[in-house]
Amino acid sequence: MMNIKGALVPFSALKFLGKKPHTVRYPLEKKDTAQRYRGFHFNDLEECIGCGTCSTICQNEAIDMIQLDGVEAAKGDSGLRPRVDNGRCCWCGLCVDMCPTGSLSLTDQYLHTSPDPDSYLLIPGKDNPEMKENISFVKSDSEPLLQFDRVPMRELDGAERVKSFAEVVLGYMQEEARAEATRCVDCGLCVTACPDHMHIPEYIGAIADADDETALKYIYDNNPLPEMCGKVCTRQCETVCAIGHLGEPIAIRWLKRFATEQFPDPAAILNPVIAESNGKKVGIIGGGPAGLSAGYYLALRGFDITIYEALPKMGGMTYAGIPKYRFPEDSLDKQIGYMEKVGVKMVNNTRVGKDISFDKIRKENDAVFVGIGFHIPYTLGLTGEDLENSIQAVDFLRDVNLGKSVDIGKKVVVIGGGNVAIDAARVSRRLGAEVTILYRRRVQDMPADWEEIEGAEDEGVHIVPQGIPLEVIGNNGKVKSIKYGMAEMVADDKGGRPRPVLIEGDEHILEVDTVIGAIGQEADYSFLPKEVMDELKIERGRMVVNELKQTSIPDIFAGGDSVNRTADAISAIADGVKAVEGITHYLLDE
Amino acid sequence: MSTQFAIEEELKQSINNAFRSAKVTIKRQGRINVEFRSGILPAFVSYLKEYLDFKHLVMMSCVDWLEDNEFEIVYHLWSYDHKVHIMVKVRLDREKPVMQSISKLWDQAETYEREIHEMNGVEFEGHPGMRDFILEDWEDLPPMRRDFKTREFVDKTYEWRTGREDKQDVRETIAKQYDTEVPDFKNSK
Ligand SMILES: Cc1cc2nc3c(=O)[nH]c(=O)nc-3n(C[C@H](O)[C@H](O)[C@H](O)COP(=O)(O)OP(=O)(O)OC[C@H]3O[C@@H](n4cnc5c(N)ncnc54)[C@H](O)[C@@H]3O)c2cc1C
Ligand code: SF4
Ligand code: SF4
Repeated sequence: MMNIKGALVPFSALKFLGKKPHTVRYPLEKKDTAQRYRGFHFNDLEECIGCGTCSTICQNEAIDMIQLDGVEAAKGDSGLRPRVDNGRCCWCGLCVDMCPTGSLSLTDQYLHTSPDPDSYLLIPGKDNPEMKENISFVKSDSEPLLQFDRVPMRELDGAERVKSFAEVVLGYMQEEARAEATRCVDCGLCVTACPDHMHIPEYIGAIADADDETALKYIYDNNPLPEMCGKVCTRQCETVCAIGHLGEPIAIRWLKRFATEQFPDPAAILNPVIAESNGKKVGIIGGGPAGLSAGYYLALRGFDITIYEALPKMGGMTYAGIPKYRFPEDSLDKQIGYMEKVGVKMVNNTRVGKDISFDKIRKENDAVFVGIGFHIPYTLGLTGEDLENSIQAVDFLRDVNLGKSVDIGKKVVVIGGGNVAIDAARVSRRLGAEVTILYRRRVQDMPADWEEIEGAEDEGVHIVPQGIPLEVIGNNGKVKSIKYGMAEMVADDKGGRPRPVLIEGDEHILEVDTVIGAIGQEADYSFLPKEVMDELKIERGRMVVNELKQTSIPDIFAGGDSVNRTADAISAIADGVKAVEGITHYLLDE
Repeated sequence: MSTQFAIEEELKQSINNAFRSAKVTIKRQGRINVEFRSGILPAFVSYLKEYLDFKHLVMMSCVDWLEDNEFEIVYHLWSYDHKVHIMVKVRLDREKPVMQSISKLWDQAETYEREIHEMNGVEFEGHPGMRDFILEDWEDLPPMRRDFKTREFVDKTYEWRTGREDKQDVRETIAKQYDTEVPDFKNSK
């Protein structure tokens, strides 16, 4: 029998002609790509910091970091930007998920054909600015591949703290340090902000690998006081940490502390090689971080080093200023002890200009390094300031640190908003006083570290912001109270920060036993003979130096608080380290 | 028994009545995880299919638990009646990863098993035709194993496009900007 079905089927299909199609619509509508489609990359070039994490993570090596016209390196920005080889990319999206700033994304654009192989190299954001409108695949918030939360640091609680000078921060334990170190993406941007440009990613990497000895070597390569920095550093590095853009920065300071605290004697690990004597002598005035750092590395290079220090111990403000609950003395002793081992000669209790003359030191040495810090406090400029019990924070802290008994009574007011003010307040709490801090501006304007401010508040320090002291009132030559006025913040027409302006009539009196001034210090150059002073270039109280820390007098080098504007320990250390190069260059022509 | 997960609880009960060693966890509404012994896995999924209506094998996947020295095969099953998704997970010794094929229960398992065989190197006993999946003449470690070095492979396999010679190392760039040198203590112990 003939099968006619095959002949009829084509005709039966005709009946569909009149029906509306289910699948294809006319006129043709372009369908949207899937919501999280992964096509070409887009990069927000302003947000991107050139950390290179995208490039590091890409398993296809599709991403290069390159220099781009118009993108400058800065603190926290390498100045490089990613370029993608779209011939290699498999659109896995790892680079996007790992980008710590969230600047990188993938778009829903994916069509590209060209006979020119070079056209497959794309600088996201630069070559395709228009694709900003097509961003489709962004970093996942719900399942981040980066670890944004810092391993918390254990501390004594506020009520316990004020009972003694015991160290407040307890330090990481092994497991905690390893976990914290593993959060690092190893980009090195932190190095841009560290005044001393320490080898940060290298030592964090070693800590993550449980290789603390190697970490210690990296750390000591350009910082001879790392345990101190591990406890009190102003940690500018952490302010630019890539992870800090969307999460909490790596606890770089605490990790350094962890590594250094693993070893009671750094010498045993570092086995420092001390160069043979080169016959040159360098005298150092001031045993603070600047002088010690210069001294240590010079000694390693075979110089004959003597440090002259007015106080009974080396350390400068880190010994006489920073309170023991932040920087315990045995930690300082450990670090000074190591320097002595390396051959740095230390002469304590010797004030240059009084116990020995500057000229004698200069004559006996081939070069001199001056690291005298800022030790003369600014006065408040108030009536009643010279009353008994109206004192200066740096003097007060030094007396307490050196073990002298200090009577501050039951009620104390501290004037100032920097770290010195906070330290004076927290020490006063430990001596049993009720403490008020009077600060001209708002709390958020305080130059002190926010952790210090919080620490003070936890310990029961009362802060009065926008309070301007007007007069210290006395009774029988002793402080009885302080008069202060409240201020309002007035925007500065010239674009500067807002100024506090007294509110007429809003005056208060606070009964106090002691007034502690903490509004800044300056250097004491009185030890320098007149001829030297005439020749030495000093601007706004600071010695002027070149790149290698040489002053206007060729054989005199200088560093630390009396030179730099950042006035912290790590800047002083960095100055000392640089001066080593300068002095080596000057004396050995290397 | 909470009514919120009534179906899930009921399924859990049934499973445990039949297979006491199955570790059943209700993840959320419509989602159940089961950890199971690898030895009698086919019997278990067959039970789920025939008695509890998990008719649809959605997919199979494999996780490399390198640190535990184990592979984990995950069977995703779906029941249209209960509207519940079950993930059955079994662990295999990573040194000798052998699993029984379930291709007799679901035809499409054949394809998934071929893929897992190729990507992770797991053997499937009773598979009707284990041949290359998408890789041809692959002789390296199976590429989805975590100890497969993707970057090394990429380096030796693909050419570098010209025009990429200007690439910079971020760490070196930063070191140069600040005139510092990064010593190598890591490799010079
Ligand atoms: C209370 C307080 C808290 C601080 N907290 C921190 C902190 O948390 N983190 C941080 O990074 N920085 C902190 N600083 C700042 C830090 O201590 C200094 O920046 C750093 O010590 C500066 O080092 P330096 O070597 O320049 O000077 P200093 O450390 O000031 O050392 C100078 C040394 O020179 C000696 N000297 C001066 N003149 C003579 C002379 N004629 N003869 C002999 N010796 C002399 C002084 O006695 C002193 O020991 C703090 C400072 C103070 C005052
Ligand atoms: S999407 Fe994946 S393959 Fe493509 S550049 Fe990013 S990390 Fe590399
Ligand atoms: S990971 Fe993000 S921030 Fe870092 S370089 Fe790549 S795109 Fe820029």
